Amino acid sequence: MDIGLLGQYLANGIMLGTMYALVAVGFTLFFGVLDVIKFSHGDVLMLGAFTGFTVYLGMAGIGIENPWVLVVFVTLSAVIGTAFIGAVIARYLVLPLKSAPPLNILLITLMLGTAIREAVRLFFPDGSNPKPFPSLLPSSSVELGNFSLRADSAILVGVGLAVIVGLHLLINRTRLGLAIRAVAQDEETAKTMGINYTMIVLVTFAIGSGAAAFAGTMNGLYYNEINFGMGLLLGLIGFSAAIIGGLGNLYGAILGGFLFAGLQTVGAVALPFASAYKDVFAFAVVIALMAWKPTGLIAERTSDRV
Amino acid sequence: MSTISIENIYTAYDKADVLLGVSLTVAPGTITCLLGSNGAGKSTIIRSILGLTPPRAGSIKINGREIVGLPTHRVIAEGVACIPEGRRMFPKLTVEENLRLGAFQVKDDGLIRRRLADVYETFPRLAERRDQLAGTMSGGEQAMVSIGRGLMGGPTVLLIDEPSLGLSPLFVKENFKIIERIRDQGITVFLVEQNVHQTLAIADYGYVMSGGRLVAQGTAEELKKNPEVHAAYFGNVTQTS
Repeated sequence: MDIGLLGQYLANGIMLGTMYALVAVGFTLFFGVLDVIKFSHGDVLMLGAFTGFTVYLGMAGIGIENPWVLVVFVTLSAVIGTAFIGAVIARYLVLPLKSAPPLNILLITLMLGTAIREAVRLFFPDGSNPKPFPSLLPSSSVELGNFSLRADSAILVGVGLAVIVGLHLLINRTRLGLAIRAVAQDEETAKTMGINYTMIVLVTFAIGSGAAAFAGTMNGLYYNEINFGMGLLLGLIGFSAAIIGGLGNLYGAILGGFLFAGLQTVGAVALPFASAYKDVFAFAVVIALMAWKPTGLIAERTSDRV
Repeated sequence: MSTISIENIYTAYDKADVLLGVSLTVAPGTITCLLGSNGAGKSTIIRSILGLTPPRAGSIKINGREIVGLPTHRVIAEGVACIPEGRRMFPKLTVEENLRLGAFQVKDDGLIRRRLADVYETFPRLAERRDQLAGTMSGGEQAMVSIGRGLMGGPTVLLIDEPSLGLSPLFVKENFKIIERIRDQGITVFLVEQNVHQTLAIADYGYVMSGGRLVAQGTAEELKKNPEVHAAYFGNVTQTS
């Protein structure tokens, strides 16, 4: 295979890896602060993409045409709106169930995901059909042999990676991040340090949901199509990525996201069967990885959780 | 006005009362201790004050302000700090991050830096290890972090729960000296302990607890001489005095 085509696959893999990592970060943050798996995360991502799409329709409707203004407002409103929704879900659904058995929270968030999905399908105008997400970024490209780097891809990956770096800095370098890490390690002692526990949980859910909305918007801008079921696969992939990385570990989630995208790419390119099987291949490898390392690649040391 | 004033509190875990109408006061600038055997309800009093297990009835005032029903971070804002039982490090945070968490509600960065410097002066060993993960330190070093962390917020009242638990006798002695020094700085100390002799040696006033109730109180001198207290709650300890 020639270098150009390889570069193309690599660029696509990095794009997907960035999206998956952004979804996986949410799973790992929620598990960190509250020990819960929130299965509605993928559908919250979809809600983010639809929020962005609705804002686009509204802005286009009042005659705003500058694509840069549009893309900034669409992305920001998707992220902020979804962050707010994430905090509301945490406040009224997850926190009250904190002392319930984990299986109940899992079931309830699974049902919440279905409710969100069905609500968009039924109440969004013509919601059961895919929506054409606008391409708001310049689509000019640089050709290098067979490899063409499109400007929109480069911008999406660049901003996506910047968001991941920003999340890393937020968690590891700020006072808020210190509080989040403290709550994740020992909720009760964190409270006695004077940390407002409820506030930290809500902020964490807002951050995770905002990151998912960003991934959803990225997905829309890249594929120029969104649909009510888009969160199912993305949520499942994000969850798998968080698990292979080691649930509760931020770097593990990022690594897991890129690893999954790498597996899909290998599945599509290097294997002798049709590329339609790339997800089957990737999930099969995830199953094998889980059998080999049940606690993930970067395991949370169990002794720390006493 | 008392620094801590507890009036007739009842505290329950899962509907079973552990504290049965406890009333006590802690005078400002004193070390006031709470003695009693395992399961007497001593730690439950600390949890009640901190709002971790709020009492279902009764009143707790810190410097005259009612705190029952407040979430824990609001109790801390009243000038309370805690050195918890078993040190309770954040194991995957560095020593310095642990210390900084003790000053989480302090907004003035200069003040945080001055207090960090004070802690490092008291415990030079921590200065050497400021970037080490707290979970990898020895029990004695973790006790230093825990004490330092309790002082970082500049509390007016410090709750100390079983500081001698699991430490070597030499370190226990050192710890009690530090607690005296904390009182001499003007911080009111409420000390919960099982270790009768060393506790009464530094305490100004004390209470004795058994089965969820207070059974004796008095100055440290009075409690030392109280044979009933010894016989009933500390068994053979009397022989060594």
